[in-house]
Amino acid sequence: MVQKFSSVGKRLPRPDAASKVMGAAQYGADVSLPGMLIGRILRSPYPHAKIVKIDTSKAKKLAGVEAIITFEDVPKLPFTRSVMAEGFPAVAYEGENLDQYILSDKARYMGDWIAAVAAVDNYVAEEALDLIEVEYQPLPAVFDPEEAMKPGAPLVHEGYENNIAGKIEHPFSCGDVEKAFKESDYVVEFSGQNSRQKQAHLELDVAVAQWDTQGRVTIWSPCQNPHLAKKALARRVFDIGEGAVRWITPTVGGGFGARMSFGVEPVCAMLAKVTGKPVKVVVTREEDFAGWNSRTEQRQTIKIGVKKEGTIHAIKQKILSDSGAYLSHSGSITAVNMQSALGLFRSPNISGEAKIVYTNNPTSSGMRGYGNPEGAFILQQAIDMAAEKVGMDPVAFRLKNIKGVGEPSMWIPVALDSCNLEQCIKLAAEKIGWKKKWGGWGKKKEGRMRSGIGMSIMTHASGAGGFLLEHSHAIIKLNEDGTAHLTVSPCEMGQGILGALSQIAAEATGLRYEDIHVITGDTDITLFDIGSHASRSTYVIGNAVVNAGQKVRQMILERAAKKLKVFADKLDMREGRVYVQGAPEKGLGVAEISHDAIYDYGTTGQHIMAVGSFQSVSHCPNFQAGFAEIEVDTETGIIKVIKYILAHDIGRAINPQNVEGQLQGGTAQGLGYALYEDLVIDKITGNTLSDSFATYKIPSSLDIPEIEVILVEEPASSGPFGAKGVGEPGMVNVAPSIANALYDAIGVRINSLPITPEKVLSALKSKK
Amino acid sequence: MVNGKLYEIIIEPRMLLVDVLRERMGLTGTKYACGTGDCGACTVLVDGKPILSCLTLAVTVRDKNILTIEGIADGNTLHPLQQAFIDNGAVQCGFCIPGMVLSAKALLEENPLPTRNEIQAGLAGNLCRCTGYVKVIDAVQAAAETAGKGGKI
Repeated sequence: MVQKFSSVGKRLPRPDAASKVMGAAQYGADVSLPGMLIGRILRSPYPHAKIVKIDTSKAKKLAGVEAIITFEDVPKLPFTRSVMAEGFPAVAYEGENLDQYILSDKARYMGDWIAAVAAVDNYVAEEALDLIEVEYQPLPAVFDPEEAMKPGAPLVHEGYENNIAGKIEHPFSCGDVEKAFKESDYVVEFSGQNSRQKQAHLELDVAVAQWDTQGRVTIWSPCQNPHLAKKALARRVFDIGEGAVRWITPTVGGGFGARMSFGVEPVCAMLAKVTGKPVKVVVTREEDFAGWNSRTEQRQTIKIGVKKEGTIHAIKQKILSDSGAYLSHSGSITAVNMQSALGLFRSPNISGEAKIVYTNNPTSSGMRGYGNPEGAFILQQAIDMAAEKVGMDPVAFRLKNIKGVGEPSMWIPVALDSCNLEQCIKLAAEKIGWKKKWGGWGKKKEGRMRSGIGMSIMTHASGAGGFLLEHSHAIIKLNEDGTAHLTVSPCEMGQGILGALSQIAAEATGLRYEDIHVITGDTDITLFDIGSHASRSTYVIGNAVVNAGQKVRQMILERAAKKLKVFADKLDMREGRVYVQGAPEKGLGVAEISHDAIYDYGTTGQHIMAVGSFQSVSHCPNFQAGFAEIEVDTETGIIKVIKYILAHDIGRAINPQNVEGQLQGGTAQGLGYALYEDLVIDKITGNTLSDSFATYKIPSSLDIPEIEVILVEEPASSGPFGAKGVGEPGMVNVAPSIANALYDAIGVRINSLPITPEKVLSALKSKK
Repeated sequence: MVNGKLYEIIIEPRMLLVDVLRERMGLTGTKYACGTGDCGACTVLVDGKPILSCLTLAVTVRDKNILTIEGIADGNTLHPLQQAFIDNGAVQCGFCIPGMVLSAKALLEENPLPTRNEIQAGLAGNLCRCTGYVKVIDAVQAAAETAGKGGKI
């Protein structure tokens, strides 16, 4: 049966677009309160140092300075920057290490937070920072995770022997891998590492905090997980009740995983507490680059055993992650690397281990894809190497080894009930002209400019059902005029979730899309939700909205039934109008029903509203295939991407325009990750050298190749109207497919990101 | 003159245009994102030309016509570029959008029917981390076509 939808599947304008094009949207930096002070942070000039003495007396005398705080002034309660840690089940996961305080008594990376100032304006605050006198005792530092594990290496944190912050056994361990390698006809091994890609959201980190006379604090800050952040701030940072924290999320200028960690909120709340005034803490772009958030650098080895008929027999994966100075998300993203990379392929024998190590580098965290793009860059090249050994086409080799419906999924495995990866691979391969363009293994190419084609596949979750805290709640309240308020708590960080949830609400209730008004971004008003991460919001929150919508619809139909004098099950509702099935002319508008329900002067007054809930048990994985066609200049080493085609298994696109936007934007970030973006940290001083958009290159409008997005729409039974997640996947396949295309073009493999012209030239040289 | 209105304010000579617009005039649509002239989020038009307000001392533009994102709509009717950005799904987080729209306006005034490559070049000073630029370029192209059919930029 072909379902005809009124709102779902349509390219409707998102509700936040108008305010954004008019410059009216209010972001964190635009929040201004009467008497508000500006807060700034003093950062360590040493990567590792003991703080012997801090003298704040001169700074305190500066006119306009209201407070200066140091380690002495903050609660001695350790916490982790990762607010996601609150979402892990205590039994299954020990959580990220509680390894830091609001301000530190020891600098652990160049830029670590030592003191903070609140002053009347930014100019005075900056001047005050210069007047704080700190006596540091520099300590030996370590910047390489291998070095950090050696006996005698400087200890970043007491109590973590050999700087090992955590260890993970492979979650998919099975069979006997060593025996299986012996049984294999071919064994390939590939080692390499990803770069510390920076989220580089355009909106700088910011927070405003204000305490009231009852001891409650309100925070305004861009945050992907406001309810978890509320809990972490209350319980971990200040040891107060969750009810004493109100978290307001203004318009968010980009997330990409960075807003899953505390930024400046704890120090901002502390300054506001000490001064008794509202405080806004701002940071510079330089501080942001040399700070507390980047993709985690992972050194990885993948070993694959294959049978000569082309089946994978064994996979072994080893990872060494550099968490930097504090653990933050580095542990869990390492686990996700293992799960997502190996969630794709069937293998009877799997083993692996990971270590996460502290160093004196800036703190790593999670970024879009959260372990997946890190793993895919190595694994998808190793898969191509295995295909070459067997002498199979990379498309055919993948098709032979991927999992399908009924087989275990990526995370805590559940049986896949929706998987269209095969279709994605075939569609994208055909569209790019794989058969014609891929000339077979070892084909010699001549000339200065050489073209190549390569592919990669991926799976990613739609939330972490079965693994993390995954229940969500939505409220739909009908207004007198037939419009409705939808109260939900995702984080609209640009992905278009408010539009998607409004479209789902309109469809589920039978109201018009333009009559749905979203209420969000305030933990005092919204019900619990873990927030926007793991490409979950459309799937998980969307299901809660469907549940609320169906209840509201039923309530409307029941009231309408009385008015129309027919049974409710004989009624239908569409576009804000209730009508009798088979007799659409007999009906009435929803405004009449909602108004009369509230203004019922008899005995059956009612405010039509409902709370919908959803407990996710399946993470409903989505799938994607990506193909890159490139041209390599063998004299300069410059790679030009001619075309990138991806096919994504979306289940159903609630708003195809926004789904395309997610995939195009993800592709651009993937392109930067593949070719230019590199957070360069000096290996002797620990200084972050690429600390501006001039020294850290993100793609500009000139760098964008032709991108083609194919949406594969086979509704997933557990998704809202069949939808699955799409937020992160766009960037996963880009780097590995370019790397595989490079091998096709010039016969060399690059094992570290970004794939710079220097690396290409040096690889070409050593090949000769 | 800001957005067609004459303002008389006393400022310190060190104040940047972006700070004066945002903090003294409440025009927070102009965004601050790098402070080094690399990202274009703070772009405003001065006598029709795009400039970076984070690198401009406010005193240097005192007798000039400054146009910010708040000033480009015609009353309640959005500027064709604003409308095109909405219709083409070119807006995600929105932080780069005010600067992007103003750069696009300056581009179309100089080159009313640009090719895709010319649009890419015209917007190269405005970084966007969300969209991958595809729909932004679509939007500018659509606005140019609307204008070509008698609309106005």
